[in-house]
Amino acid sequence: MLKKKLLQSAAVLAIGALALTGCTNKNSTADSGSGDSGKTTVAFVPKLQGIPYFEAMNAGGQQAAEDLGIEWLYQGPTTADAAAQADIVRSLIQQKVDALIVAPNDPDSMAPLLKQAQEAGIKVATADTDAPNSVRQVFVNQTTEENHGKALSESLMKAMGGTGEFAIVSCSETAANLNAYIEVIKKDVAANYPQGKLVDLVYAGEDQAKAAAMATDLMNAHPNLKGIVGLCSAAAPGVAQAVKDAGKIGQVFTVGGGTPMAMAPYLKDGSSSASVLWDVQNLGYLTAWTGKELADDKTLEPAFDVDDKIKGVTFDAESKIELLGPPLVFTKDNVQQFKY
Amino acid sequence: MRTTEKSRPQVTAGIPVAKKILPSLVTGQEVVLIGIIAVLWILLGLLTPAFLTAGSILPLLVAVAPIALIGVGMTLIIITAGIDVSVGAAIMVTSVVTSQTMVATGIPLIPAVLLSVAVGALLGLVNGYLVAYGKIHAIIITFGTANLFQFIGLRFFGSSTVNGLPDTFDVFGRGEAGRTFGIPHSFAITVIVVALAWWYLRHAASGRHLFAVGGNETAARLAGIKVKPLILRTYVITGALVGLAACFLIGQGTSTLEQSVGAGRELAVIAAVVIGGTSILGGRGTVLGTLLGAILVQTVTSGVTQMGWPSQLSDFFVGVAIIAAVGTDILRERSRRKS
Repeated sequence: MLKKKLLQSAAVLAIGALALTGCTNKNSTADSGSGDSGKTTVAFVPKLQGIPYFEAMNAGGQQAAEDLGIEWLYQGPTTADAAAQADIVRSLIQQKVDALIVAPNDPDSMAPLLKQAQEAGIKVATADTDAPNSVRQVFVNQTTEENHGKALSESLMKAMGGTGEFAIVSCSETAANLNAYIEVIKKDVAANYPQGKLVDLVYAGEDQAKAAAMATDLMNAHPNLKGIVGLCSAAAPGVAQAVKDAGKIGQVFTVGGGTPMAMAPYLKDGSSSASVLWDVQNLGYLTAWTGKELADDKTLEPAFDVDDKIKGVTFDAESKIELLGPPLVFTKDNVQQFKY
Repeated sequence: MRTTEKSRPQVTAGIPVAKKILPSLVTGQEVVLIGIIAVLWILLGLLTPAFLTAGSILPLLVAVAPIALIGVGMTLIIITAGIDVSVGAAIMVTSVVTSQTMVATGIPLIPAVLLSVAVGALLGLVNGYLVAYGKIHAIIITFGTANLFQFIGLRFFGSSTVNGLPDTFDVFGRGEAGRTFGIPHSFAITVIVVALAWWYLRHAASGRHLFAVGGNETAARLAGIKVKPLILRTYVITGALVGLAACFLIGQGTSTLEQSVGAGRELAVIAAVVIGGTSILGGRGTVLGTLLGAILVQTVTSGVTQMGWPSQLSDFFVGVAIIAAVGTDILRERSRRKS
């Protein structure tokens, strides 16, 4: 009887001790639940799993894991749902990964969880989408809103010859980054292209068919319309398809933020002039690389190259924002190189 | 253009005395809808530069086609006091299966359409069987199958998009290839299906029985109507129409199919049915009304964009139209009970 009790309390003590060491011993990979071979474990939680964008990031992360000898965990919800994402983050905290990187659906509700992770001795960061009011040590940012918006307006104005009416088909009305792009486009056109005029702004949700229908309506409403911006990855091919269907290739020019494989046919036939994005695989690679640096307790330099492919990365110690670089503009000339 | 798959109703009707009790050719709701649509089109024609031009009206009708087509099946279901909230997910499954097959094998138009219709009918069979024999309300059953279909569809997508779709379905699209003598094929097919369903509901015995089932299922059963096979049939028809509508949606989409295809379409379909004057309580409804309801919704969406108004206003107008339609339906029902 007594023996049994002793055993029990010993077990409780042992578990408590384990938990304590887990809290204090930040970098011991030996007791990390998922690290079977003592490898550093970097976990990335996308907004949702199964869309080409995040799958491309995953591909980059996997490549980095192979190159750097770390373990890369990729796990996200099947819909862009903040609560489902939080459950996954909690389970990763339980697994005691070494670095936890999140692209939060809801930055505000993610902040306390990141704090919890940090208290459990996990290095925390955000990638793709920031949670600015959290304890994250780094935000791996693909591009600045300023650069991205400017690349869009510059490509559009180049196609339109710097003059004429244009409209924007955006997606979600609440997407902070898209709204920021819109402001930059407005400002840039007003400042640098006095002959360009934004005549309409509509929201199609993440719906290709609706984006195409709305672009058709826009061309009817504005007979002189010369350009359309399809802001997100659903709207970009949608507006190009609408121009193609209306037989207005060469009259109406479109640019947008589409993924390369979806845009390739439209870039080829001229219904789309350019697609502005960033190298998503490189973003995934940089995310995994950054996770390892954090787990190794290294500090990031203000400017550095990761390898031959990822050069000119910058890090601002003040805002803790790591920047992949300038946006990537896909045109008919380079789009074939990208397989996502 | 001609559809290859149709619900051929059993022509056992034609009882001569039935002619007297047939409802009038058009209902009040349909007349009201035609009036509203006519006023809107004239107003938009006056207020915008190009609303009443072929370049605007034809794409509008193309956008109406898939919603109205599924709406025909949904009308049959709602007349029996059922509902199918899984059509959005079913669109996803049929379109991903069809487009992946097209990319992989390059099958031509007719087999591709048949495949899509067959897959859709199979999903409808699952719904219909569970609803007819499960004795649980259709909204719960189809909510369950919606999640199931969602899962199946996502598995087919396999974390990717379907890229490089061939132009097989351009005959259903918005472009030049989608029209003959200026008439969009997809809309013409939809009108034919609406006409067939209109005839079926009016003149076929089993069509009339749907109303009896929706009005009072027990009474219908006691009157000798085989309720369960009848209900099963409405879901299979809807599934087959989902399959055809998926071909339309692929045709008017881009050369890439995303997993968001079909998302929220069930609500657009139900909105068209309800605005068309079909009673959500069952027992009353018309497919012509559903077609008009779908045209009204698309007119509002296009109109708001062409007027340069904020996009969210179209949600507002559609919401008002749904509430107005349901409101008049309830008022009508009350006055009917009183008299």
